[in-house]
Amino acid sequence: MSHVITINADVSHGTINRNIYGHFSEHLGRCIYEGIWVGEDSNIPNTEGIRNDVLEALKKLKIPVLRWPGGCFADEYHWKDGIGPRENRKRMINTHWGGVVENNHFGTHEFMRLCELLECEPYISGNVGSGTVQEMSEWVEYMTFDGVSPMAEWRKENGREKPWKLKYFGVGNENWGCGGNMRPEYYADLYRQYQTYVRNYGENKVYKIACGPNVDDYRWMETVMREAHPFMDAISLHYYTIPGEFWTGKGPATGFTEQEWFTTLKKALHMDELITRHSAIMDQYDPNKRIGLIVDEWGTWYDVEPGTNPGFLYQQNTIRDALVAGLTLNIFHEHNDRVVMANIAQIVNVLQSVILTEGEKMLLTPTYHVFNMYKVHQDAERLDAHISGSEYEMDGEKIPQVSVSASKDAEGKIHVSLCNVSHDSQADVSVALRGLGGPIFKIKAEQLAADSLDAHNTFEAPDALTPSTFSAYEVEEGVLHAKLAPMSVTVFEITAG
Amino acid sequence: MVDNRCKGCRDDYVVDSKQIERVLASPMFRSDRCVSDSEYLTRLDACMSCPKLQGGTTCLVCGCIVQITAKLKEKRCPYPGEDRWSIEAVS
Repeated sequence: MSHVITINADVSHGTINRNIYGHFSEHLGRCIYEGIWVGEDSNIPNTEGIRNDVLEALKKLKIPVLRWPGGCFADEYHWKDGIGPRENRKRMINTHWGGVVENNHFGTHEFMRLCELLECEPYISGNVGSGTVQEMSEWVEYMTFDGVSPMAEWRKENGREKPWKLKYFGVGNENWGCGGNMRPEYYADLYRQYQTYVRNYGENKVYKIACGPNVDDYRWMETVMREAHPFMDAISLHYYTIPGEFWTGKGPATGFTEQEWFTTLKKALHMDELITRHSAIMDQYDPNKRIGLIVDEWGTWYDVEPGTNPGFLYQQNTIRDALVAGLTLNIFHEHNDRVVMANIAQIVNVLQSVILTEGEKMLLTPTYHVFNMYKVHQDAERLDAHISGSEYEMDGEKIPQVSVSASKDAEGKIHVSLCNVSHDSQADVSVALRGLGGPIFKIKAEQLAADSLDAHNTFEAPDALTPSTFSAYEVEEGVLHAKLAPMSVTVFEITAG
Repeated sequence: MVDNRCKGCRDDYVVDSKQIERVLASPMFRSDRCVSDSEYLTRLDACMSCPKLQGGTTCLVCGCIVQITAKLKEKRCPYPGEDRWSIEAVS
């Protein structure tokens, strides 16, 4: 199967916002507790309660932004329960997820410390569903006020003298569902009210994010944009890739069929249509694209691993997930004029995680490796890229076999990311590189590929699936010819000039 | 029609004893993949006194339903730095 790609290295389509590589951490299952937070007295090596192995692995990804505390949990979360001496913090039942006890040991100070250690921006989701305007207003004051006020004094009493810098703040989460079951008209009015009291203190300027639609709820986007667009900096979108049906069986994370493989990747590509159509609605009210679209929940969602608590949303992660990640990131790149942030759900032990833990054991998933390979695109200039080639067909349905994205970083290096979604066919690609400004003098490449549909890492074999140096290519008269393995994600680094 | 029903609070996210019994009634739990009844009870006793057990069913360290995983030979207690299912721990 041959594919012809043209990359115009002298035609830029703007910057790929690094925040597209963001992550999401909810108080759900073992994401926060056990996955990130083990407490200072744990046998697991930790820094101020945060496990070192996870911290080290995440730092390598250069995570730009981390969303917290939910998710559905956000609209049940009362931040005052999570500050002060830990032994005095309120214990509650996390009714949304598994009915487990939430001891509030991981709260605002711990999350902000995690972000400091990761050197990433915090993105906090405020409570509209069950919280008050005052509560939300005081949280922002607590975190960011650098003066004399009751909340600033309280923060100092709890050991934090200087305010934190907080840019990203979500006014509610999934308010069409778990965040209050609201109609868009009602949420739009509440958004206008709540965001009024999310104040800017001193130098800190909050970037306000409205709750956007679920999947293809275009009426929600239309209504909230129409009624509230002057008051927002961005609006969110949630979309999960689910091979089956949400309520009747999503399908297993491993041991699936070729048909399920195809369906999953086809559904992942639906992200492109969703962004395109929601952006078209946004264009009516915001033709200059001042307002960003933030896909702050995305990723695969399967049936939980057999024998685990269904409320913990714990699933394995295979080469299929790696391809969903690669395809989706390529789509986000293509929409870099509107998509300013994305947050894969969720960072550890929940849904399409980059890390899985079990006690002191930890493994990096295929999705982790894609994020690590792709991090070169962060803040790079997206280059003009075109592809024509064969389609991947199954049972009369077709999707493109190869997905491509290209960018140029600050040093002038060009990175080309390619996904071959076919489960059984190699892809022969010819990449014509135009406008380089000089001859190619160095190429290196890395590939993540597998021999089986559900290849994955386990705690017994954590390195079963890792990227390796890729060499099945040659350059002929400025054209790069490569043979991409089936089920593979490949990233080229090209230096020219 | 957009389905905006809540994703997290439906009954299918609740673990009850009937669900556990239904799983344990499946053929794989009558195979040589399972530990003996006495070892199963020993393991479960350890789980029931473990500070990481929540709601009488869920191990917070690995997320498993202990009544199910304690049956399986290949499963190990995931408690950090301490195998609470080991013979030494039990004795």
